[in-house]
Amino acid sequence: MSESTPGIPGSGGQIGIDTWVEQADERIERRGGLAGRITRIWERIPAAGKLALLTPAILVPFLPLVSEGNLFNYGIFILIYALLALGLNVVVGFAGLLDLGYVAFFGFGAYTYAFLSGTHGNKGHTYTHHWDAQWSILMAVLICAVLGLFLGSSSRRLLGDYLAIVTLFFGQAFVVFTNAADPYGITNGSNGLANVAPLTFFGGHFTISSTRGYYWFLLGCVMVVMVILYCISESRTGRAWKASREDPLAAELMGMPVNRLKIMAFSIGAAIAGLAGSVFAAAQTGAFPQNFGTQVLILIYAVVILGGTGSLTGMLVGAIVIIASNQVLDSTSPPNVARVLFYVALIAAVYFTMRRSWVKMLIAFAGTAVFGLVVHAIVDAVWSRGTAGHVTSGGFLTGVIRHWVLLPTNPGRLAVYGYLLMIVCVVAVVQLKGWWRLIVLVPTLYLTAFVWENLLVQNPAVTRYVLFGALLIAVMTIRPQGLFGTAKVEIG
Amino acid sequence: MRKFVVAALLAAGVAALASAALGSTKSPARVSSAGSALVTCGKTRTIGLAAPITGPAAAIGNQQVRWAKYYVKRWNAQKANKNKQIKVISGDTQLGVDTAFAVKVAKSFASNSKLLGVVGPAGSQEVVASTSSYKRAGLGYVSGSATRTTLTDGHTDGNRRGYFFRTVPNDGAQAPVVANWMTKKLKWKRVYIIDDQETYSQGLADGVQKILRARGVKVTRDSISQNDSDFSSKIAKIPSNTQGIYIPWQLAPQAQTFGQQLKAAGKGKIKLFGSDGLFAPGVWKIAGSYDSAFPYNPTDPAVKTYIKAHKGNGEFFGLPSYVAAQVVVGAVTKACADGKATRAEVRKAIAKTNLKTSILGFPVRFVKSGEMRAPATFGVFQIQSNGSFKRIG
Amino acid sequence: MNSTLGQRLGNLSGLALALVAFMFYAVYLSPTQGWTFFFQLTVNGIILGSLYALIALGYTMVYGILKLLNFAHGDVYMIGSFIGFGVLTLLGGPLNPAIPVALLVTCMFVVAMLGSGLLGLAIERFAYRPLRDAPRIAPLISALGVAFFLENSALLLFGSQFRNYDGFDLISYNGIHLGGDNGVFVQYLGVIVIVGAVVLMLALLGLVRWTRLGKAMRAVSFDREGAAMMGIDPDRVIAATFFIGSALAGAAGVMFGLLFSQIYHLMGFLAGLKGFTAAVVGGIGSIPGAMLGGILVGLIESWAKGYLNGNVSDLVVFGILIGVMLVRPSGLLGTPALQKV
Repeated sequence: MSESTPGIPGSGGQIGIDTWVEQADERIERRGGLAGRITRIWERIPAAGKLALLTPAILVPFLPLVSEGNLFNYGIFILIYALLALGLNVVVGFAGLLDLGYVAFFGFGAYTYAFLSGTHGNKGHTYTHHWDAQWSILMAVLICAVLGLFLGSSSRRLLGDYLAIVTLFFGQAFVVFTNAADPYGITNGSNGLANVAPLTFFGGHFTISSTRGYYWFLLGCVMVVMVILYCISESRTGRAWKASREDPLAAELMGMPVNRLKIMAFSIGAAIAGLAGSVFAAAQTGAFPQNFGTQVLILIYAVVILGGTGSLTGMLVGAIVIIASNQVLDSTSPPNVARVLFYVALIAAVYFTMRRSWVKMLIAFAGTAVFGLVVHAIVDAVWSRGTAGHVTSGGFLTGVIRHWVLLPTNPGRLAVYGYLLMIVCVVAVVQLKGWWRLIVLVPTLYLTAFVWENLLVQNPAVTRYVLFGALLIAVMTIRPQGLFGTAKVEIG
Repeated sequence: MRKFVVAALLAAGVAALASAALGSTKSPARVSSAGSALVTCGKTRTIGLAAPITGPAAAIGNQQVRWAKYYVKRWNAQKANKNKQIKVISGDTQLGVDTAFAVKVAKSFASNSKLLGVVGPAGSQEVVASTSSYKRAGLGYVSGSATRTTLTDGHTDGNRRGYFFRTVPNDGAQAPVVANWMTKKLKWKRVYIIDDQETYSQGLADGVQKILRARGVKVTRDSISQNDSDFSSKIAKIPSNTQGIYIPWQLAPQAQTFGQQLKAAGKGKIKLFGSDGLFAPGVWKIAGSYDSAFPYNPTDPAVKTYIKAHKGNGEFFGLPSYVAAQVVVGAVTKACADGKATRAEVRKAIAKTNLKTSILGFPVRFVKSGEMRAPATFGVFQIQSNGSFKRIG
Repeated sequence: MNSTLGQRLGNLSGLALALVAFMFYAVYLSPTQGWTFFFQLTVNGIILGSLYALIALGYTMVYGILKLLNFAHGDVYMIGSFIGFGVLTLLGGPLNPAIPVALLVTCMFVVAMLGSGLLGLAIERFAYRPLRDAPRIAPLISALGVAFFLENSALLLFGSQFRNYDGFDLISYNGIHLGGDNGVFVQYLGVIVIVGAVVLMLALLGLVRWTRLGKAMRAVSFDREGAAMMGIDPDRVIAATFFIGSALAGAAGVMFGLLFSQIYHLMGFLAGLKGFTAAVVGGIGSIPGAMLGGILVGLIESWAKGYLNGNVSDLVVFGILIGVMLVRPSGLLGTPALQKV
């Protein structure tokens, strides 16, 4: 019986079938073009399948092509941050609570493991515990879960912003506690705990002390945690979390125990952080208080936000993108890779800004090149010291850079003013539209290259944090759901 | 279907975990053999330099970097060393920010298979933190400034004998010099001691306090943290009739801040006495303050050239790093005499170092613990009104 | 949930009892006893508190209008102190100033306030305005991003070594001795700071109460859409609020540099947290509350540093905040918020 009465939505269709729900797919906004088709295909694959597809993607680039040092730097850190992001995703993505002290759980996990698996002595007390890893990791996870419970229970009376502040203080309290308030030498102040044994399971039968071993172990942990979280998110609890995230009051009225859900979210997130912390301490053979500071927190947030809150695959992808660029821009890495990445990113930025018009894009690229050469020639003629500097480990791009970018012998102040001017110009580019945007874009690009060569590339470790801060702002203002999250619509 | 996939993935995850544990019982040998890996020396040999290049202790760290590179430059310039050039890779340990950086630098040095020896790190707490990384990599490391006495006793802060050496006398020698100066030359009777809660500082403070108390001087002890910048409450506690405050800190800007706030509280008459970590002219410039610093030979031509090149500023905190570089370079060259070397060989060569003369003013040889053999003493400096450090004892 | 008179009296008498107990401990029982020490700490606390009050004002104004916690506020304060340092060094520094000292100090303040104000404007325009109607979590994360961006830009541009404001001989090292040579010492600079903070706060109160802009600010904080319907442009009013709040933070930054001399790129984080504590304790959204809260936090921190182990003082301040938030979330002078369903 398919009678449809005009004017009444959903009146066509069969009894027993809710057309509104059936037609839900048509109402979801989709992207057009190639990207849209790929997204639609991707969305059809069940999550387990996505996981199965992604894991080889992680494995293949790493072993055995990569050296030991790189495996440590890239592989292990990516997996640790993926774990942390998965945990934070439970709190922020599933339950919608802003937890700014998450990094403290990471620290507690690391310190618990370090304390229980090593020899430490300070202020006259010596502690020698050499627990097997399976017990110390378990202990770390349990302690963190309890702490998460404790923090969560304090959230009962606090609304969004206040909760953020209390959690922030909790994070601060951790740093203060490890740094200062240890009368019995348990935390060893700001020197941290250094003599940490590697993972030894079951009385020394299995020991993981090589980087490769840690990599496999962490990979296993990530996969297990992802599976567990997937199961939870598809269960009643997961649905209840999502409901309480959208509107806590309505959820309460529908009979969900919102307070208990909040505490559970905190607890589970903390437990995952504890696991990550203990493996981290083992891999680093040490736990230092500033390993768990604000920078780590911002990194985890960048991973979660970029990946998309609420999406598990997003966490993995976000971790790969953010941590890989984090390590590339490290002070111990050669600047060559960073330089190539920078110019690629610049080209990508121009592409995205000028995407709609091929003409404008070409003009932007050609214009910048010509503009740069012209300016370089003029400055060379007028003020020779303006171009006599050297390129910082240029590699194969040295020749191009030396003739295109202004390299003063003593960049100092100029670089600082250049940086400030660059920010103003970027702001202007964002504000303007049409041809004006193109006109301002060309000198801005050149200025950016100038600032990069003279200031940023010499201090890549700090540059990456500047970029991550900007990334958070950009993602939030342009695409709040990140790469893999679902866009939220605020009603009313 | 979905449950089956989930279960399969769970099994795969557990399998990964298991293979990690099983697989690695085969490979622990890999890690400890790093020290005995044979490296072809070639014409250019690599050493590492770990120092605080940025961060609050950058003032003293860069002194060390300059002195160490000064030595390497002089070595590389000699015609006889044309085929034995030395390349220096620097690592920024950011002393005063995060001990973890020292560990990171140690690990990155360890993973560089061509790197045979290390100069540094600077801080005693960094030595403690990075010991296991250096030991696991088989690298020997010679510090030009880590002075905490217990670093070489083999048990208190860990055992690093055979790996760690230092070209400075330890705080066991620094404390008596300071205490003697305070009691004999300055004749202080009421002294305040403030440490900065770091390994280095507490050791020195304890040493000086013990000697002063034994000589009947009234000593009050307090502490601040390296993150503090508001000392007004601490200063309010200091009685105005105190004659001197001993501040064995690592961060010169902090000492400058403290001195300024002391003056601002109306207690500018009280004199400050610092330690070697505060030897940073231009940063710590409270005129009239005293400082104990590393020994050196002022008549040595290398020293004189350096002072001239740096416009009269000797930067003596970094001087022992010159000798540390000398030790490491000498050891690497000796081990590479047959064209191939291992890190273990370099370590042994460091232990057998025998420099007849050095810019420290005495010959350099090491004892088993890693200390220098010669009876070195510290010097006492005073800050002049133009900010320069003048030696007075 | 309005508290009855009885409950209010109960709270106040509890507070009074705590104060009396503390005074007794401070003067008679603690190891460093004596009235002089107590008064010295109190004076230091009031000076510190004026600083926190200025920072708290920025937080409270922005929260009142946008219901947003501006995490980047502490870093605006940090930038202000660096701008002051730049002006100071540019004009020769206290040892050989190119212009008279009074003019130099005024110049530092004016430039720093202008600079911070402009920075606040830019932050509002780019990080918060696009997120006006987004879920509450979004601007908070954006604020985190801004804070991080500013801290590391400062690190990049100014280097990581701590900078020191050199002291001015006249005002930093000379002062009033109260109660004889061994009594309480207040540097002239301290007096200037307190007076300056009071002047700025009174100016702000006057602005809010007697000018059209102030009226517009109050209207927008009460009901943004209603104010828009009345012809007030909320964008301009919000921008003005950010400008004023950030300018005050910049002034606080210069004061900090003059008083405590050491500035570095991370100083904004802790100071921002304490400023926020002050705003919440006093009642967020209330301007007199921010001032009261600032003085209170300064006093408590000073006393805690003097009588307890120095490292615990931060924990004490945080503990007070958490206590206030759990017991009386609207603060001392704030109005309890009603949750609309």
